[in-house]
Amino acid sequence: MSKGFTTNYRIALLATLVLAMFAGIEARLVWLHVIDRDELVRSVDEARRELIVDNARRGDILDVHGALLATSRSVIVLGVDPQFLRPEDRAKWPQLAQLLGMPESDLERICTTKTRPAGPVVAVPAQQPSPGIVINLAPSAPSELAPEAQKPDDAKPDDTELDEPDQEGNRPIRWAKLSDQVPESVYAQIERLGIRGVYGSRVYQRDYPHNEMAAHIIGYVNRLEQPMAGMEHYADFYLRGENGWVESEKDGRSHELAQFRTREVPPSDGFSVYLSIDANVQHIIEDELAKVAQQYDPKKATIIVSDPQTGFVLALANYPSFDLNTFNKLPRDDQGRMRNVAVADEYEPGSVFKIVAISGALNEGLVTTGTEFDCTLDKIDYDGMTRSLPRDDERYDHPLSVAEITAHSSNKGAAQLAMRLGDRRFYDYARAFGFGQQTGFPVGGEVVGNLKAPEKWDSMTITRMPMGQSVTATVLQMQQAMGVIASGGVLLRPQVIRQIRDSHGELVYSFERVEERRVISEQTASTMARLLMGVASPDGTAPLAAIPGFEVAGKTGTSQKLMPVTLASGATVLRYSDKHHVVSFVGFFPASHPQVSIAVVIDDPDGRCPPGGAYGGKVAAPVFKRLGERLIPYLGTRPTIDNEEQRALALEGGVR
Amino acid sequence: MRSTDKMDSRAFVNQFMVYTLVAICGSASIGLGMVWIRHQISVAANVNKALVSSIDDLQRRIEETDAAIAAEQDPAVLNRRNSEWQLGLVPPDETQIRNVSEDPVTRLAAMHNRTLFGEVPATVSFRIALAH
Repeated sequence: MSKGFTTNYRIALLATLVLAMFAGIEARLVWLHVIDRDELVRSVDEARRELIVDNARRGDILDVHGALLATSRSVIVLGVDPQFLRPEDRAKWPQLAQLLGMPESDLERICTTKTRPAGPVVAVPAQQPSPGIVINLAPSAPSELAPEAQKPDDAKPDDTELDEPDQEGNRPIRWAKLSDQVPESVYAQIERLGIRGVYGSRVYQRDYPHNEMAAHIIGYVNRLEQPMAGMEHYADFYLRGENGWVESEKDGRSHELAQFRTREVPPSDGFSVYLSIDANVQHIIEDELAKVAQQYDPKKATIIVSDPQTGFVLALANYPSFDLNTFNKLPRDDQGRMRNVAVADEYEPGSVFKIVAISGALNEGLVTTGTEFDCTLDKIDYDGMTRSLPRDDERYDHPLSVAEITAHSSNKGAAQLAMRLGDRRFYDYARAFGFGQQTGFPVGGEVVGNLKAPEKWDSMTITRMPMGQSVTATVLQMQQAMGVIASGGVLLRPQVIRQIRDSHGELVYSFERVEERRVISEQTASTMARLLMGVASPDGTAPLAAIPGFEVAGKTGTSQKLMPVTLASGATVLRYSDKHHVVSFVGFFPASHPQVSIAVVIDDPDGRCPPGGAYGGKVAAPVFKRLGERLIPYLGTRPTIDNEEQRALALEGGVR
Repeated sequence: MRSTDKMDSRAFVNQFMVYTLVAICGSASIGLGMVWIRHQISVAANVNKALVSSIDDLQRRIEETDAAIAAEQDPAVLNRRNSEWQLGLVPPDETQIRNVSEDPVTRLAAMHNRTLFGEVPATVSFRIALAH
């Protein structure tokens, strides 16, 4: 073997050097890993580790056919860091202004204002909520989302506050908001412009594609993503998802190092809520409400359409209403528009309430449809006392049968039917019909109405309550009560949620018809439906509600409003007014096998009615008819009365 | 004898040096390999991240499009378009609707057959080219 370059001296030197080197490295390693470990690990953790919250998407609210009523879509909150702007990008500013739809002068002002007066540093709570859900998913392009751009609110103090003020006491601006409504597609174009210093942060924003439609049912979510009203509030448990998170590390430029992800918990998006609301039916009733508002200028009005066989609400609309996308722009004194008056306001139902006394008396077998009552009496003895009977609009020259009392809406007749039942039984029937208790409707802040127990009645109550005075109810309660007759005698819970589905469309829960109780027999319900058909007959109080070819059953209601009156003594008392009414028509069709139930209630249409014209039969009944005629073709309701002329026309495919 | 021992120890040292160099080269290769693998892991993670990001981006575009479609399908918007574009579309009138209880296909076929073979006499026309 050759001697090579090795000598004992060289070997010893080399070995010493190598050993010394290894010893040095080992010493350093021991220092780093044992002695200084805690401090170093902490500093590395602080510097490199990051927890990225991946926010869940809020679920959608859809109608019965799957049309979107409320959805979440991402928008970009776009801002600019004036310190980073390059002079060569200035030529692109007009394009940017055009894309943002803002005047060039405004954009120039924002971009050229590089400092702001230094104010006191605002203390920010550690968990300051953002105005939307910030999507923290990493950007696909390096320039997409700068870390400093992850601040969607320009009012939020940022690094600016940490910068030292200059000699003039101004701090540099590091973030100035350009727009908080930039759609994804527009943002893509902005990105293509490649203007350095213009950054966006992505937030989820609640969007209501139909604006005003079903506003009182859907409700809204405020800018802090807090559900405030309606279904958004009630079904928040289903709608809000579960945030996910990623444990990862970042480099010195705050870019995530994806290879160092240690834990990834994906977000669970919120469930979708399918309502029983049908967007087309909802549009039809809102259209009719708009016509009512234009024609009568009422104080308020409500229309409810529901399926009498299941109790599901197909549409519910109130006037006035509001736009869900601009709810925050409503003036404070106009926020009454947000009130779901169908369930949150009560009114004296008037003659519609007569269905309680008539149904009760028939159901107890106390009368038949042919039983007659003297409706010319002014006073009557009851329970050992003489009671005055309420006035009727008509004078009758013969005793009225129960059928005639129903068709003509006789107050005296209804009072005598209630007296046949007696205080307690009449009250029990009113309770059984759902009055004085909540329907269980999930949205709108439902009130129970006022139904006093017989112990609290005065001597007039038994004569006034059957005609719908001395009792208050919500429009939904009236619809539910009429639904008892339409459904064959069963009180059904009015519901508005049909299904809950997860983010993949899988069914989570399905809501079915809920029977609260049987109120009257099927036979009585059928008899009542027949009697109520008389209301929409030429002899009834609402011939204008009749729909050719269909058996319409319903009941008109006209109640005087209690208005404050100032007496000569200066005191103010509430008196029934002859000039202010609540008019209504609540009914269903076809009477023999009801498929659609409609309640129309208009509060104070008197202003534009001819004198003595504010009656349920004249104002609300035509609305019912128009609605029925529009709903029949859409819902595919078949006529129950044969119409030869119509048949011939359709057979020939004729057009009038 | 002494010279032989010295040569043996040098040979050993030489071998040791060679093996050491080989070991250093080997471990350096392994180290480089590890670095390359880590780099590949990093690249794969970044590609994966970019893919997830683009999928999310697509999902957001879909959601935005869905919302836009829903807004365009609003009955009020459709009515406005109907009048703007003068389409003249109207909902069907009840008088124009004939409810049928039997199978509509059979019914339509029967109507068609009646036209062909039924009460109405069928007329057949031929085009004959006459040669002059």
